[in-house]
Amino acid sequence: MRFDYFGEYGGRYVGETLRPALDRFAAEFVEAWADPEFHARLATIRKTWIGRPTPLFFAENATKALGGAKVYVKMEGLAHTGAHKINNAVGQVLLARRMGKTAVIAETGAGQHGLAVAAAAAKLGLRCRVYMGSVDAARQRPNVFAMEMMGAEVTPVESGARTLKDAINAALREWSATFPDTHYVIGSALGPSPFPEVARRFQAVVGEETIRQMAETGDAIDVMVACVGGGSNAIGFFSPRLDSDSPRLVGVEAGGRGMGPGENAVRMSGGASRVGIAHGYKSRFLMDGDGQVLGSHSISAGLDYPGIGPQLASLGESGRIEFESASDDEALEALTFFARHEGVMFALESAHAGAAAMRIARGMSPGRTVVVNMSGRGDKDLFITAKALGRERWIEYLKSEADNA
Amino acid sequence: MPECLLMAHLVAGYPDMERSVAVAKALARGGADYLEVQFPFSDPTADGPTIERACQAALANGFKVDGGFAMVRRLAAETGKPVFIMTYGSIVFARGAAEFARLAAEAGATGLVVPDLPPDYDENLFAAGAEFGLAVTPVIAPETTPARLGCIGSLRPEYIYTALRLGVTGSETSLDDDSIRYLDSVSRLGAKTIAGFGVRSRGQMEALAGHAHAAAVGSHFLDALAAAGPDFEEALAAAAGALKGNGTRQAITAPHPRRRRGIQARTAWPRGRRF
Repeated sequence: MRFDYFGEYGGRYVGETLRPALDRFAAEFVEAWADPEFHARLATIRKTWIGRPTPLFFAENATKALGGAKVYVKMEGLAHTGAHKINNAVGQVLLARRMGKTAVIAETGAGQHGLAVAAAAAKLGLRCRVYMGSVDAARQRPNVFAMEMMGAEVTPVESGARTLKDAINAALREWSATFPDTHYVIGSALGPSPFPEVARRFQAVVGEETIRQMAETGDAIDVMVACVGGGSNAIGFFSPRLDSDSPRLVGVEAGGRGMGPGENAVRMSGGASRVGIAHGYKSRFLMDGDGQVLGSHSISAGLDYPGIGPQLASLGESGRIEFESASDDEALEALTFFARHEGVMFALESAHAGAAAMRIARGMSPGRTVVVNMSGRGDKDLFITAKALGRERWIEYLKSEADNA
Repeated sequence: MPECLLMAHLVAGYPDMERSVAVAKALARGGADYLEVQFPFSDPTADGPTIERACQAALANGFKVDGGFAMVRRLAAETGKPVFIMTYGSIVFARGAAEFARLAAEAGATGLVVPDLPPDYDENLFAAGAEFGLAVTPVIAPETTPARLGCIGSLRPEYIYTALRLGVTGSETSLDDDSIRYLDSVSRLGAKTIAGFGVRSRGQMEALAGHAHAAAVGSHFLDALAAAGPDFEEALAAAAGALKGNGTRQAITAPHPRRRRGIQARTAWPRGRRF
């Protein structure tokens, strides 16, 4: 099993306090994965509660407007709690219960992963605590309310930049003290092994469904496009085709406001991209020459992270996955484009993939196909997109709400 | 009665480079037997909030690894005390593990502690340490399994850094029997054990005597530094002296919530470092 390294990336770079927790988790995951009963439970909850399979549709109007390749959209954002995050959350909370744990902890940036874990924990009867940087908790209030409604305790993290990476640090620390009765559900395909592999396995369902659904359309897949923060939606979406030569697989990083330091979250190219070790794994990070982790920026909180999952970094270097970036503005443009033409609202993260898919489709001949993963839906972003797309009207609305409250 | 030596920990560059050198010298003057200089890292997952905040402040003040080596060189030469460097894998890996070990040895460091580069994910740091005469020091915890302990012991490290859990009641501190048994089992591996994690009082130092070669004390000195004014050097020398039993017991009796050593009691973070 590929638990440890992907090329030179991956590993289990943690202190001895965490070591027993990871060693045990890896062993129990192998056991669970070989157990048909575990898979049967997973299949039932996927179908009846997550709402799988999520749809895939031909974006006919978008295709016409772009004048190039056919564009298909995998509507992963229709999964329960609004994004692919629920696949990993449900899988790992099921594992936690199987291991006899009574509680789960999670880190969250925008709150999507925290929300997914809170929902899964409520459903499966485990206590849940979510670590969230206080900056993120302030700018993502609606998700904090939702997590608390599901019974999770949201703990603001006041250290460092008070964002996602600090929430990961806080959760790792907490776990090293509580692992006998607590499981840590990392939200992406990153962290110390076996987490990257565990996340990929639970997210692979997205890619497997896509392949099946595309076969039903009769169109071959020429290009698959997904956004990449930590990268769990991308690695899951690409998973069934990682070992073959086709189709083209394109990962899209956050180009943010520009290519200057701190202005983006582009880990696979650019001056601040280095091989480093942080958060328990070796991969490409935004780091300075001393190995200090640098800040990142993206309009989408889910892509605003300085590291990238080790398997994606490795496949990027081997050339199997191509990496591109889309800026904040391009993501907003794609969001509007798909909303107008197809009546779907991409999450800001997924809109980066949408932007790249538009670019790629325009450059391809009609009859070829591009499949883009809408990993999340855009409802959660209203506070950000409404402000970015119509600032005055939004402020007016907020004022009137405050006056009426 | 054997003595438990004092390894005084400080954060390089905190509050700034010049004053952190003064802190180290004051601790040495107060009686510290070893100095442990932490090179700050942006994401220190093994540290508690006190040390993390100091690291963030040092980085905000422009700490650079080159400056850290220069500081170690000065301290080794000017205090005559053995100096350990403590940092994280990212900082070591950025230079290359072998190059980092070479630079540390060249600066006069005696040892190096990198909690997130454990023996089987060490980027060949242990081999580099042997090559350059630097005591690369593994960190272990009470939860470390006998099998891993055996693997760590087979490296024949000169020192082993042992993360402790100590029962603490206000100013009165005692090690419980489990902790003593654990320390003694580590000592049997043949390395000098450095007991770290929540050591803040003379009482603890006395309880550790005969069971640990040295005790690493960090957050306690950071707290003393925070409480002190411009005369911080005097305060730190006194704090080190008090732990060594050379002074009065004042300044080391800050009330501390009671915590048991058991796993279940660990829902809150201790103020000190965690390995």
